[in-house]
Amino acid sequence: MIETVSAATHQSVSIQQRGIQVIALALFCWLAQQFTAKLNWPIPGSLVGLLLLWFLLNRRMLPATWVEHGANDLLQHLMLFFVPAMLALVNRPDLFSMLGVKLLIVVFISTLAVMCGTACVVEIGFRLRND
Amino acid sequence: MIEIIQGSFWCACTLTIYLSSQKLHRTYGRWWSSPMLVTWAGCGILILALHANYREYLLGTNWMIWLLGPATVAFAIPIYRQQALIQKHWLLLCIGVAVGSLLAFATCWGLAAFFHFSPEIRASLLPRSVTTPLAMEASSRIGGVPELTAIFTAITGLFGAAIGESLLCFLPIRSSFARGALFGMGAHGAGVAKAREIGQEEGVVASLIMILAGLLNVLLAGLISSL
Repeated sequence: MIETVSAATHQSVSIQQRGIQVIALALFCWLAQQFTAKLNWPIPGSLVGLLLLWFLLNRRMLPATWVEHGANDLLQHLMLFFVPAMLALVNRPDLFSMLGVKLLIVVFISTLAVMCGTACVVEIGFRLRND
Repeated sequence: MIEIIQGSFWCACTLTIYLSSQKLHRTYGRWWSSPMLVTWAGCGILILALHANYREYLLGTNWMIWLLGPATVAFAIPIYRQQALIQKHWLLLCIGVAVGSLLAFATCWGLAAFFHFSPEIRASLLPRSVTTPLAMEASSRIGGVPELTAIFTAITGLFGAAIGESLLCFLPIRSSFARGALFGMGAHGAGVAKAREIGQEEGVVASLIMILAGLLNVLLAGLISSL
């Protein structure tokens, strides 16, 4: 099994280098977004950027070390990036009511179903293949 | 001028709360100490207490929302690093993602119809079991409100990560693969963090399932919206 984040090498890369990698990824994403907007594609630019970057890495046209540390930094702080969007809640007093309670019930039941269902199906698939 | 001051104030507040919540989470490590929940609640209380509005708050923090794009691109790295695992287990991964997404859609759609939610809220609920940046993308494409989706997605992640371990005690699951799928599909980012605590393979499978489910949802949403 390969490590997702190589922690040891991650520490040895300077903050400047990681910053440049983040900026490079941002530029890459921005270009992809401009591109999809111009062509009016139904897929978001960030997704096109993801697929393109993966393709470049896969074809060895771009060494993974050039963007890896910036990418790990971005993914590590992903939680922070959606806090501003989640705070739109202060603009929605209608959710602090019966509607909010109903929504919570829906989210809880649906999450339970997804977790149990997915785990059971994958487990069955795993056993079928290994038996 | 006042806007710059307001912006920097909210930016500084958010970052300070976020950094201290990370310390808090290292000490307690429970679902309620999650940096996302603490930062969300902390900033929310501060906005309400200071009688500020959401527009003022966004002045200093909309760059964070913008970084969701590059963060999505960054998912290319884990996919690239786990290529061997994907090639070996592609069928199981696809089945897990398909079943999980289908269950998420079906239960959300059914319950939303049962409670008579408005179309806007219904569309915002649908993509909630995938990772936030992709869920928001998908939501805006099918007529939902991305901000509402971000909230539902966050609650999904918190709830899923909080109950996941208890669920594992009840379900007859032996493979680490299925344990990872449970967390990655059910609780996306927060689930991946939890799965990593349980085991390395669980963590890797969870993150792959999460990314693949996100991709599938955005592509489906794109197709639906272009029909």
